[in-house]
Amino acid sequence: MKYEDLLCQALEIDPPWQIVRMRNDLGRRQLDIWVAREAPRRGWIFGARYELRDGPESVWRHINVGQSRCVVHAAADMAHLGLPWIGADDQVFTHALSRQIATHFMEGISFQAICKLLDIPVGDLWKFKHSLDNGKISLSGKDTLVADSKQASLGIPDADHPVWNALLTGALDLDIRLLSLKLLLTKLRGQMPLISDPEVRLMKAHELHHYFLRHAAQLSHELTQLRPNGSPTERTHEM
Amino acid sequence: MKCKDGLMAVTEVADLIRGGHFLSLAGDESALRQLPQGNWIGGTIPYFMAATGGTVCRDRVFVQQIAEFATPPRLRLYDAGTLPQLCRNAPDHGYSLLIVPAFSACHSDFARNAPNYEDMYLKPLAGWVAGTHLDDAGRATPQVALGTTGQFSAEHAVVMDIELPPSRYAQIDIINPFKPGNGDAISFPDTGFSADVCRINGEATHLADYLIAHAVDTRLPLVADYCGASVNVSIKHVDAERRRVEFYAPVFPGLTYRVATPVGENPAAGIGKLASDGVAASFACNCILNFLYDALEGKPAGALTGPATFGEIGYQLLNQTQVYLTVR
Repeated sequence: MKYEDLLCQALEIDPPWQIVRMRNDLGRRQLDIWVAREAPRRGWIFGARYELRDGPESVWRHINVGQSRCVVHAAADMAHLGLPWIGADDQVFTHALSRQIATHFMEGISFQAICKLLDIPVGDLWKFKHSLDNGKISLSGKDTLVADSKQASLGIPDADHPVWNALLTGALDLDIRLLSLKLLLTKLRGQMPLISDPEVRLMKAHELHHYFLRHAAQLSHELTQLRPNGSPTERTHEM
Repeated sequence: MKCKDGLMAVTEVADLIRGGHFLSLAGDESALRQLPQGNWIGGTIPYFMAATGGTVCRDRVFVQQIAEFATPPRLRLYDAGTLPQLCRNAPDHGYSLLIVPAFSACHSDFARNAPNYEDMYLKPLAGWVAGTHLDDAGRATPQVALGTTGQFSAEHAVVMDIELPPSRYAQIDIINPFKPGNGDAISFPDTGFSADVCRINGEATHLADYLIAHAVDTRLPLVADYCGASVNVSIKHVDAERRRVEFYAPVFPGLTYRVATPVGENPAAGIGKLASDGVAASFACNCILNFLYDALEGKPAGALTGPATFGEIGYQLLNQTQVYLTVR
């Protein structure tokens, strides 16, 4: 496989679309790519050629390439296509990056952390979050996020609820039936005494919360104990 | 249509393979090598808990059919470098069956690091460790096989990823004939398949000295409590001279181990009683040590049948434990 093909694969650009031009001098740690459709061959001797049309161009921020930002340039009239490497008309991010950011939100990662992780300006992220909260962005194809949203209504405490920290520190015990939860909680409890960074401790709480979201249908016995009228075993009075 | 699971003649298994069934197989290498290419993964072992009871045989193959899936299962080999991607690559909704050859780099890496593999515990993972007939120790090598290519390997792990319909889910459970005893609390400073100095009730002590001084029956594993799940580490050898103890699975720091006590008077009876709850397992395996220590050859297997292996996988590597997977 050629390097160009590998890059296309990493950026979710599938045939007939191809990267037809690249520049790395338009911004610091920034890769700009131009994407166009492969045109029919004119003859066996000429090989493939690409349609890079004159006319209005749209620009979207795409998923990063390593530590570099990736900016996609494509014809403006393509915004309606639901391809992962383009974005909606009035949006800054491509669909792929939107899904990536939305996943981070779902995992409970903070605004500041997402900006830092993905090298995104805070203003752009605020705009995206506003659109997301107001239903202006569709995360089509991300079924797991939809499922997570449904599960969230099953009585699972929010990711920042103190119950997760209490479980992680052992201040709160549950009668657990699911083997995977017994093993996961043991692992996380073993890690917690070694972690002093509040952000990392928060990530561990989100990890546990994510497990509950994912397995909500199998955790009715455990979730009952987490609800206010449940009967978890509290080791201390503080949570 | 689901075919019959269990111990079968090579010709019967070959017919199932030619019929396009997806199969997880266990058998002696000589039997597995007679099988045609097809949708199967396999591992070498001649010990089985069959419907007719504990069995040792080299000319038949234990069949566990994967009858329920949403899309055709994916079968592939992993080397030690790619094995940590195992759970990440697993289907979002389904489960994976893993067979690892004993004494390989994959075996060692999985034993030590599986709890930290990406997506571990989020996606059901069950399996076993391939071995050999004990009479062949030093001559034969545990192997796994990828039926789609016919490749056998002593260094790779083989995996079948099974995606389930949205209405169904897989659940993995274990039956442990042991629980932590009431004795001293043992902890270890490092992850390892062997240990010399550990802490016993907080005091630095050579584990080998302790086991010998207390005349501990080393057929009893060390057991740690994982939030209600008893997880064993079986003792392989106590070297009194070198003051070192070797294990069949690694011990981990941060856990408290105790010498096991059997759940019932007879561990085999304990397994049989628990296993006769009418559980319809899609996959099950037992431990070669239970097979040997409890002299299970010829004894009834109960409801759970499968290979008696060099290690069981219920997410992570387990010892002296019965693992089973049900699709509900």
